[in-house]
Amino acid sequence: MALCAAGGAAWAHHSFAAEFDGNKAIKLEGTLTKLEWANPHIWLYLDVKDASGAVAKWQCEGGAPNGLTRNGWSKDSLKSGDQVMIEGWLAKDGSRTCSARSVKMPDGHRIFAGSSNPDAKE
Amino acid sequence: MQRFLILPLAAALAICAFGQRGYQPPTGPAPRMADGKPDLSGVWQRPYVPDMTKTGPNQQGMAELPFTEWGAQQWKNYHAEKGDYAGACLPFGLPRSMNSPEPLQLMQNSKYVTLMFEQNTWYHVFPIDGRPHRDQTTWFGDSVGHWDGDTLVVDTVNFNGKTRLDTIGHPHSDQLHMTQRFTRTDLGHIAYEVTIDDPKTFTKPWKNTRTFTLRPDWELMEYSCEENNKSLWEGRIKVPKY
Repeated sequence: MALCAAGGAAWAHHSFAAEFDGNKAIKLEGTLTKLEWANPHIWLYLDVKDASGAVAKWQCEGGAPNGLTRNGWSKDSLKSGDQVMIEGWLAKDGSRTCSARSVKMPDGHRIFAGSSNPDAKE
Repeated sequence: MQRFLILPLAAALAICAFGQRGYQPPTGPAPRMADGKPDLSGVWQRPYVPDMTKTGPNQQGMAELPFTEWGAQQWKNYHAEKGDYAGACLPFGLPRSMNSPEPLQLMQNSKYVTLMFEQNTWYHVFPIDGRPHRDQTTWFGDSVGHWDGDTLVVDTVNFNGKTRLDTIGHPHSDQLHMTQRFTRTDLGHIAYEVTIDDPKTFTKPWKNTRTFTLRPDWELMEYSCEENNKSLWEGRIKVPKY
């Protein structure tokens, strides 16, 4: 699927490969607990429940606020308590950290989240 | 099945309405300064070039880089997870800043041209009045410019050799001699050419050519790399050992 992005692909201030594994795709559905809207990357925090109801805390890196702003995001696009689905790639260090390729917003729209993966086409 | 394909496309189109697809810059002749030189001023949208070997919209890459033995070793042995200077918010250097995804604002007068990169709120200012290079080694290198007809030619040397050409990490050395050519072909566009001449890393000079697009609807925004660099603080990005 194609999503629209500023430069035609990811916005990255650093190498994706330094931190994330492009072979480990992940899809997370959960409740947003915080959105950090700051350079060099936004961070989304979410609580993800497993089948037993246990909650795991995840954090996902998105693009820079500047590029996201020009693509229609704002710091008010998401708020704590929103149900979101994030698709992206896992961090190499084994922590519950991901690089967010896209976020499915509460209204059902999926938008490009600015992953630094050079393969993260819009 | 077709419905499943159409729905995501509709969502994508809705998002594109916010953004850049279909944008058309203003039309008209290239403007000029009072002294008759082309006026390159403006906020410019550039293709993000994380890999200078790749060709994409508004970017013609160099598919096969002519590495020397030393250059090939540098490339083969580069692993960003062992040290990522850009991730650590150290200066990108001029080549990688020119490849960065955020906009570039150009300003000039008869003596100086300034490249203002939104990426990390960096600037690079250099004379165009005939002065020689300064004998200083820096992250961005030392630039002097001159007019070749209606083309601004920027000649840069004295790099510290601690930077990479692009996000993917193609190498260069402190012997890098970078030549940039900016030609405002009309009101809305700059034709850009960069030549990488680095005899320690490459057996011959090579080029990328690009088109920049004027964005009068954009203004530069602050970009603090240090503000929320969680990945560095939490140890997933490491500072390189130089």
